[in-house]
Amino acid sequence: MIQIKSLTKSYPSTQGRQYIFKDLNFTFPTESNVAILGKNGAGKSTLFRMLAKSEYPDRGQIITRKSMSWPVALQTGIHPQMTGRENTRFIGRINHVRSLSEYEKKVQEFAELKNKFDLPVKTYSSGMRAKLVFACCMNINFDIYLIDEATSVGDPHFRKKARKTLKDKAKQAGVIMVSHEIDQIREFCTSAVIIKDGQLKYYKNLEEAIEIYTGEK
Amino acid sequence: MSSFSAQIRGWKTVIFALFLREWQSRFNDKLGLSWAFIEPALFILVLSFVRGKVSGGDVHSIPIFIFMLIGMIGIQSFLSSLNSVSTAIKKNKPLYAFRQVHPISAVITSAFLEFSIKTVVIVLLSLAVYLMEMPYSFDNPVLLIGVYLLLWIFSTSIALIFSIGAAYVPEIDKIKNFISRPMFFISCVFFSLQDIPTAYWHYFNWNPVVHFIELARYACFTSYGKAGVSLEYAAMCSLVSLFFSLSIYHLTWKTILSR
Repeated sequence: MIQIKSLTKSYPSTQGRQYIFKDLNFTFPTESNVAILGKNGAGKSTLFRMLAKSEYPDRGQIITRKSMSWPVALQTGIHPQMTGRENTRFIGRINHVRSLSEYEKKVQEFAELKNKFDLPVKTYSSGMRAKLVFACCMNINFDIYLIDEATSVGDPHFRKKARKTLKDKAKQAGVIMVSHEIDQIREFCTSAVIIKDGQLKYYKNLEEAIEIYTGEK
Repeated sequence: MSSFSAQIRGWKTVIFALFLREWQSRFNDKLGLSWAFIEPALFILVLSFVRGKVSGGDVHSIPIFIFMLIGMIGIQSFLSSLNSVSTAIKKNKPLYAFRQVHPISAVITSAFLEFSIKTVVIVLLSLAVYLMEMPYSFDNPVLLIGVYLLLWIFSTSIALIFSIGAAYVPEIDKIKNFISRPMFFISCVFFSLQDIPTAYWHYFNWNPVVHFIELARYACFTSYGKAGVSLEYAAMCSLVSLFFSLSIYHLTWKTILSR
């Protein structure tokens, strides 16, 4: 469970302050895999980044006792000049992984990079990069995994594996996902939160949420 | 809330990881690591040597080569840390997605990397001076090391201020380049403060870098004297800029993350 207490978040712009959330109070459920739905610019990514503490609200708090992953998107924390292995070790290090060599091995296996693992990431295709980031995240134990739509890149075989891993993880951990692709959300999530006009609403039933969300459009 | 020692350990791992990352990404071309040391060492060596040939002899009892060497190391330490530390916050932006990585970790890492490189460069240069059998002396090593550390505190703080500024207004970078260029010429690198008539000193000795460089010369050769400069001024400048930059950072770091 993640508690959001009187949270205000705004960005400065030439048109004056743009408020995304004003005095928001909400209890974010994490028992099941939750999708965050909302139109472009509704504040999905902002909420997502604030949950991950990659960004901080202007006022208010986000309180949780759970350990959360970083927001896993296509490129986060990957240095194109460094090899896959070096990048993996970096991520492992800052997340205090117990055994780096073991972690390295698991990531290499999961990402199916074989000997490409020792080549600079700039030589990877975008799918391979996504695989690497996803593998790095999945091999660290978090209570909640924050997954951005970018991870959907990857071949059907990898997606199947990713889904299986996420399902396994979902037994002891939660997943929060941001995506525009309804199919992908159906694959991974069982409930949803819809953001509209700076307010959040939780739907226990994913189909109900999708109906409202798509109906709005 | 984790304990204090756990937090320190966390910071240490993050900075170590960033350090290795910076290291690996910066030196993975053919010339590799050696270039980082050889380039500044050669630059300083050649410039000092040329200056020594142009007008040989001593400058207020310091051999001209050593005189130039100290000046060049001083100004290069200031300028190179200013340049690379002040871009550190922007450069590592993607990494702030990891909540463990704060902008200040990037600044500390980059300052520490520059510091290590410059220290190795100094060791190399000292070795060169020793092998070429030039006259040298370290009359007051404690003062020399103190001045060197203060210089780094000063440059890192100034760089941090510019770094935060550039996060808000990117044009600050251009202004920084504009300001830093004349620093090379007004910091008593090529000449001594004592060469200038006392009446004009106030045009030069507002600049803390002058104090650092002249004090370093004095620390090596006591006979050089320390006319017009004071350790107190240098130390106060370092401390004030350190506190000022850290306070600005403390006020702004959360906003920097959302930019």
